[in-house]
Amino acid sequence: MAIAFIFCIFLARFFYIQVIWEDELNYLALDQWTREIPVVAGRGQIVDRNGELLAGNAASYSVFARANAVKDADGCAEVLSSALGISYEEVLKKLTDKSKSEISVVRHAEKSVVEKIEGKNLDGVYYARDNTRIYPYGDLACQLIGFTSFDQSGSTGVEQYYNKYLAGENGEILFESDLVGVDLKGATAAYVPATDGLNLKLTVDYRIQSAAEERMKKVLEESNAKGARCVVLDPRDGSVLAMVNLPSYDLNDIPRDDLSLLNDESRNRLVSDIYEPGSTFKIVTAAANIEETLKGNANALSLDHIYPSSRTRTVDGTKIKCWSDHANGKHSNQTLAEALNNSCNPCFVDIALSLGKETFYRYLTAFRFGKATGVDFSGEAIGMLLPESTVQNCDLARIGFGQTIAVTPLQLAAAAASAVNGGYYYAPRIVNEIYSSDNSVREKIQPNLLGRTVSGEASEILSSMLEGVVRDGSGKHAYIEGYRVAGKTGTAQKYENGVIAQGKYVSSFLGYFPANAPRYLALIIVDEPQGSYYGSTVAAPCAKDIFQKIIEINRLEPFTEEI
Amino acid sequence: MPMMRRGQRVKIRTSKLKAAPALKKTAERTRGGKGDLFFLFAVVFLAAFGVVAVYSASSYNAEVQYGDAFYFFKKQLLGFVLGLAGMIGIAFVPYQKFKKAGIPALVVALILLALVFIPGVGKSNYGATRWIGFGSFTIQPSELAKYAFVLFTAGYFAKNPARMRTFKGTLPVLGAGIAICVLIMLEPNMSVTMCVAALMIGMLFLGGTSYKTLASICVPALLLVPVLIAAEPYRLQRLSAFMNPWASPKEEGYQLIQSLYALGNGNFFGVGLFNSRQKFRFLPFSESDFILSVIAEETGFFGVLILFAVIGFVVWRGFRIANSCDNFFGYLLVSGIVLAFAVQSALNALVVSGCIPPTGLPLPLISAGNTSLIVTMCGMGIVYGVSRHNQARKFIRYSK
Repeated sequence: MAIAFIFCIFLARFFYIQVIWEDELNYLALDQWTREIPVVAGRGQIVDRNGELLAGNAASYSVFARANAVKDADGCAEVLSSALGISYEEVLKKLTDKSKSEISVVRHAEKSVVEKIEGKNLDGVYYARDNTRIYPYGDLACQLIGFTSFDQSGSTGVEQYYNKYLAGENGEILFESDLVGVDLKGATAAYVPATDGLNLKLTVDYRIQSAAEERMKKVLEESNAKGARCVVLDPRDGSVLAMVNLPSYDLNDIPRDDLSLLNDESRNRLVSDIYEPGSTFKIVTAAANIEETLKGNANALSLDHIYPSSRTRTVDGTKIKCWSDHANGKHSNQTLAEALNNSCNPCFVDIALSLGKETFYRYLTAFRFGKATGVDFSGEAIGMLLPESTVQNCDLARIGFGQTIAVTPLQLAAAAASAVNGGYYYAPRIVNEIYSSDNSVREKIQPNLLGRTVSGEASEILSSMLEGVVRDGSGKHAYIEGYRVAGKTGTAQKYENGVIAQGKYVSSFLGYFPANAPRYLALIIVDEPQGSYYGSTVAAPCAKDIFQKIIEINRLEPFTEEI
Repeated sequence: MPMMRRGQRVKIRTSKLKAAPALKKTAERTRGGKGDLFFLFAVVFLAAFGVVAVYSASSYNAEVQYGDAFYFFKKQLLGFVLGLAGMIGIAFVPYQKFKKAGIPALVVALILLALVFIPGVGKSNYGATRWIGFGSFTIQPSELAKYAFVLFTAGYFAKNPARMRTFKGTLPVLGAGIAICVLIMLEPNMSVTMCVAALMIGMLFLGGTSYKTLASICVPALLLVPVLIAAEPYRLQRLSAFMNPWASPKEEGYQLIQSLYALGNGNFFGVGLFNSRQKFRFLPFSESDFILSVIAEETGFFGVLILFAVIGFVVWRGFRIANSCDNFFGYLLVSGIVLAFAVQSALNALVVSGCIPPTGLPLPLISAGNTSLIVTMCGMGIVYGVSRHNQARKFIRYSK
């Protein structure tokens, strides 16, 4: 009886396992019954706004080995080492290392190499398609485009931000095999196809990018600067047309061995680094004052207000001086337009203080200082803006001419674009559309209007003043006859450990054209130029040359006053 | 399944024992009775099926390890042929002759068990020394010891049935059983030890020992189990792996998980003979201790049901033969052999299905392993021989 009882127990158990539990067990077991060879999805391409290829793929192959399935290790090693150009010993070691079920012998091998192996029919050696990322222009826009890791996943830049679109989905070939990975005889292989990644069309114009790069390389060399950067935007919708960060590196030959160098050179400083903007920031202060005047704010200084000629202002017991000694009389009895031409600091102190903390901060917030611009790029810095609650008058006064505030170059460019385009703040954007390999558009990325900064009228007045800066003032090195270039120079002293670093400047120029309906806006930054360090002499000529190239590229006719 | 009615049985036996000399003569005269052919065929069927199953389970592994897919198949076939010959041969030996073989068999078994520990003679495998070898020929003495113990016990009690009434009388049997257990335990081989212990208790029970004696053996034996488990760390690991095999899927839990995968893959009707997926080196011992997993995978729950129906049939017929025995020796001998077979089959199935922690115990008649196969078949030969004798006796009785 006892035996009959025990028989019933285990038969019930068999029933439970075999008939009821089997689904789950089979699911678990399936994993060990097959070996996969990956079918790598083709990574999406990256092209510029006109379809110029910036990042593509070269077909390559990976060779794998499963030591347990290798029958003739010596023979295999000989064939592989001669075909792949790896030492015989190294290959043999991999082929005989039975502790690993699968090992990659080589990755990113050329097709011709694999063809040599193909005919040999080596047991235990497999190959699968792989991708090798190719960047036809090497270092062009390298920080913007970014690079991929060894296994083809985006590490930086657009490659990283849009990785989920670019990556696609790997497929696999499933082989039925035994415990150690030897394929079963007569077993069929199941093929799960890969889904290729989607392509990206950038807003960037390759031609403008390369023109800007060429010019910035020149200034970097001539001025012996530490770095040179430039961002070109289309103020009409926030499209990024070019982003130059120098020094740069070759995307096809990434310095992976020197991590700090790689980190340094792959950083898109236009987006991720902050700096004290100096006088270029006066555009924002001026915009705020003009708008408030038009609104009838009694505290705002009217357009024909004559600013006191003194070189200094004393705020909260601290003395703020103009960069000029006011000796030649140029800085006497200025209007706002003249103050911009001369970049006279005390005038902007007056504006900031008379607008007051609350009003001025309202504009700083509308221009998105201390906030992300919303650009489609990772690692955006938000800058440094003192909280409204703790800001002192002496701080407010300095913010008026671009000190005591830190911004990213992109932040300043986007803010200035909105100040002169009629008052529309567009989030800067880098990718225009996402499309599949059959050229059908999957996603069109629309301009992203984040808000209004100033009225159209204020914008127009500001723009005509900035046009004057280039025509008559500090920006005259950017002047191009007939193209109505406008802009503002900036020369900021660098701080190191809280004190002014002697002889270290950031020379910049923010320019755009045509002044009446801006289409191209560029912010030029030269970091620590040697010799001449004024924005007017170092940075403004770069903007001029880049604008001239843009005019050539797009065959722009001169703009007449009537436009 | 007809179990023994203990008290009654004993009385019948003692009364019949007196007529033994006369019966012996009739048995000799009626040589050639057919015996229980159903039993015989069922046993041969199981063993033959085992040869096929061994081939299926081992072919891939044999190919990889020995370069010959038929390596284990050939060995098992040889065992089957030898076992069949032994079985038929032994069936023609009048079983009363085994009465005196008890003590010599026990001595030989104990010597063989002891030989395992002599370096050079004993052969180790998987961390245990369970075999003795002469060249390429190896035998597993513990397989022999089980039957030697049955033979000895049957002979000892049959000589004077009154012995089992007292605790003192059972001492030689206990001594022999414990001696075997200790030697097997030292190999170590826990599962066969348990098997022998269960057999010992079962024999005492069938023999009609008083409940008091039985209890005085069972209780200490049960108490010993946790001590023995604690003594060897690997047993504890196996025990915890048994509770949750997925906690250590690469180490202790591996064997059980692989067995469960095989069972699960089998579903109701199996994947078909020779189509096991788990035999591709995933399931260790697939041709020996875990052959039932492969059978379950290839023939499904349905196949398992039929297999155990046949095994159950063998056990049932075996006990029937024991029951219709006219003497106490035959009764104890047959029921002991059948009990050993039944206990081992059940234990193996319990292990394979994960009801008890994994231990190394073959499925008798089916698993690869010639010692087990030949010895079990010979044992079944004895049972068949008894059935022939019984039939002849009945025939005589009816013809009178």
